[in-house]
Amino acid sequence: MEWFAKRLGISVLLVWIVASIVFLAIHLVPGDPAELLLSQGGAAPDPAIVEDLRDQLGLNRPVLEQYLHSMANLLRGDLGNSLMDGAPIAGEIATRLPRTLELIGAAALISVLIGVSTGTLAAVAAGGPFDRVASALAGLGLSVPVFVIGTLAILGFAQTLRWVPAGGFVAFSQDPVQHLIMLAMPAGTIAVGLSSTLFRVTRSAVLEVTMRDHVRTARSKGLSFRRILTRHILRNALIPVVTVLALNLGTLLGGTVLVEYVFNWPGLSGLLVDAVNARDYPAVVGVVLVISILFVTLNFVVDMLYAVLDPRVRHG
Amino acid sequence: MRMSRRGFLVAGASLPLVGMAGKVMAQAAGAGGRAGNLTIGLSTYPPNLQPWVNAGAATGSVTSLIHRGLLSYSAEGQLQGELAESWERDGDTGWVFHLRDAKFHNGAPVTAEDVKWNLDQIAGEKSTAYMRNQFQGVEKIETPDARTVRLIMKQPTVTVPDWFATYYMPIVAPGTVSRDSIAVGAGPFKLKSLERGVSIDLEAFDGFYKPGMPKLATVRIVAYPDENLRVAALQSGDVDLIDYVPWAAMGQIEQDKNLKLDTTLGPFMYLTFNGRSGPFSDARVRRAVALAVNRNDIVQSAFFGRGGALEGLPLPEGTPYYDEARSRGWRRDLDAAKALLAEAGMAGGFSCTLLSTAQYGMHKNTAEVVQQNLADLGIQVALNMPDWATRVAVGNRGQYEFSVNGTAMESADPDSLSALIDDAAAPSYIRSTGITVPGLSALLQRGRAEFDQEKRRAIYAQVEDLVLEQAPIVGLAWRSQGFAMKANLQGFTNIPGPLSFYSATTLENAFLA
Repeated sequence: MEWFAKRLGISVLLVWIVASIVFLAIHLVPGDPAELLLSQGGAAPDPAIVEDLRDQLGLNRPVLEQYLHSMANLLRGDLGNSLMDGAPIAGEIATRLPRTLELIGAAALISVLIGVSTGTLAAVAAGGPFDRVASALAGLGLSVPVFVIGTLAILGFAQTLRWVPAGGFVAFSQDPVQHLIMLAMPAGTIAVGLSSTLFRVTRSAVLEVTMRDHVRTARSKGLSFRRILTRHILRNALIPVVTVLALNLGTLLGGTVLVEYVFNWPGLSGLLVDAVNARDYPAVVGVVLVISILFVTLNFVVDMLYAVLDPRVRHG
Repeated sequence: MRMSRRGFLVAGASLPLVGMAGKVMAQAAGAGGRAGNLTIGLSTYPPNLQPWVNAGAATGSVTSLIHRGLLSYSAEGQLQGELAESWERDGDTGWVFHLRDAKFHNGAPVTAEDVKWNLDQIAGEKSTAYMRNQFQGVEKIETPDARTVRLIMKQPTVTVPDWFATYYMPIVAPGTVSRDSIAVGAGPFKLKSLERGVSIDLEAFDGFYKPGMPKLATVRIVAYPDENLRVAALQSGDVDLIDYVPWAAMGQIEQDKNLKLDTTLGPFMYLTFNGRSGPFSDARVRRAVALAVNRNDIVQSAFFGRGGALEGLPLPEGTPYYDEARSRGWRRDLDAAKALLAEAGMAGGFSCTLLSTAQYGMHKNTAEVVQQNLADLGIQVALNMPDWATRVAVGNRGQYEFSVNGTAMESADPDSLSALIDDAAAPSYIRSTGITVPGLSALLQRGRAEFDQEKRRAIYAQVEDLVLEQAPIVGLAWRSQGFAMKANLQGFTNIPGPLSFYSATTLENAFLA
């Protein structure tokens, strides 16, 4: 319990530090939201009008005052309103976060299914033709950037074959089938790299565990290969796989930006990039805050998962 | 259930007929005989949909579907009546607008009082309207009856009708403006729903004042910020119309018989200078730069050949103020450029930094060509290419030596040049910093107040001569501004020249054949 409370305390502290750093960083970068909003399309707004808008948006107050105000609001769970059009940021994040999570979730599912199964198969028959082909493909999957894969997928499946729309989003409630069709390409694109990573980790972990004494003992006891693989090898080999998967998922929370951009998937990363480009301070802080909370929570969940997979963690 | 082979064939053959019947029925069902659902792939989601704020061309495309002003530009680029049926001058400073029988989307009639309320908001003390300053030139607004608005200016002002044709001058229903909703307008389409950052759904407004318009039943606007995906969405049939066609894709769209491309030379690239100190405070150095740039390289490198050299001020060919000889005033002449540098005491060249942005390919590529070309004069150019937001901030504060910029004139009237070269205007990243050309601001003021076209032509000829000589800005290249659409989209026109960004107005007339 004490351990739990301590971890929670550290997590809250971490989130506060992240929020503060982001707040300061985005205010330090040159560029002014009011000026930018009124300068769209090469317009030259009058500086007096820009000043009036800055006043209305509260940007003319001292930065420290803005910081305290922002932190006080955050404590109350109020993420504030967009400087661009006054839209509540919490609502905006609530709309977009599930989409990014769904994208990451779908990519993770595909990657685990492909990566772990092929990784295990490759390790079991290490050095064989399947291992060689799969390893080569994984190397390719890891080295080609997502925007190249995404662009090729659009060219192939949308423009040439016309199987799927080139990109975009339809709500699940509106049209579930179309929703899943539109999810397939971006999720598949992320999965190319992620499943390659999982393939490699699984393969080497399985190989490593296979060499261990307890596996040899199990073999000498005459256990069936299937039983050895599922009960004795995979159970141990999956620990590094879960770690790597969790780390990758955390990174993906803020890192789906290229995929979201290429496929016009209206998720959280796109919101963050737009907010940074427009210097929409509250939106930037809000999105980064939510991502960091998720990241911290994810790490916490992974610790719990270790305990499930490895009794030593649970009892020690 | 078993189906005979013949039955199957008959059923199969009749499917298209069923489809056609469905289509006909759907057309018949459209209100007022309207048919067709248009999907637009727009380059940017409007950052702000408040009336009177100039939030860019993409925003203008959306607001010009929902709202109407007193006037607009026709497909040919001529001023035409909208909420005002007609307008006329009333003495030197007066303008009278006669309103037509139009309704807002909430059913209320558009009255002279409503128009006055809008203009009062624009001119208001804390207003963030783009035209706020221009409206400080209004002496008073009279509404002699419900259908007449009389504007009395403090000075004679030629450009008043153009003000009322811009997309940032909509007339909206009084009391419907709030920060978290879109004001009620009187345009051809009304807002059905929107998802911020993603899409906007509009439906035809039955009470629109032009009979038989709009012809489309609905318009869906989807933001596609990635230009390649925007093109892909058009090619794969997800959308019917896209704006800001990337130059690299224009050729391939022209080849596709299912698609149409509509382009015009409207916007342009140019250089601004900081004349407060350093080499660019000398007009001879600026002119040397103007004479050293190979503009065809810019057109090739930044616009894939889809543009034209801009060797003078951006006055479009075919307009009354265009002058052939002056439009060639800065034609490349390396010897003359070297002589000017030598005259300025900088024969060996110098080192400087060019501000641009890496966020937009056309700004980046243009800067790289300028850098290469100036090396011919011995000028060593370093490039500073921050993100767009930083570039605007740095430009507005004059923290640069010279910079690449791109824009379009606000209208076809030569007074739009003022935004670029009037040294009496407040500092802005679109103008040079610290350069005063004696007599230029006064000439521009005279041009604004002169109604006689011949006299105006003489004034702007002088303006051109002064600018060519002093080079407060330097024109580089026209760029092609394109819309691409499915071949069956009829009635939409890319309004020529600088008015390209007003083209969405013509969608009231568009239909899918």
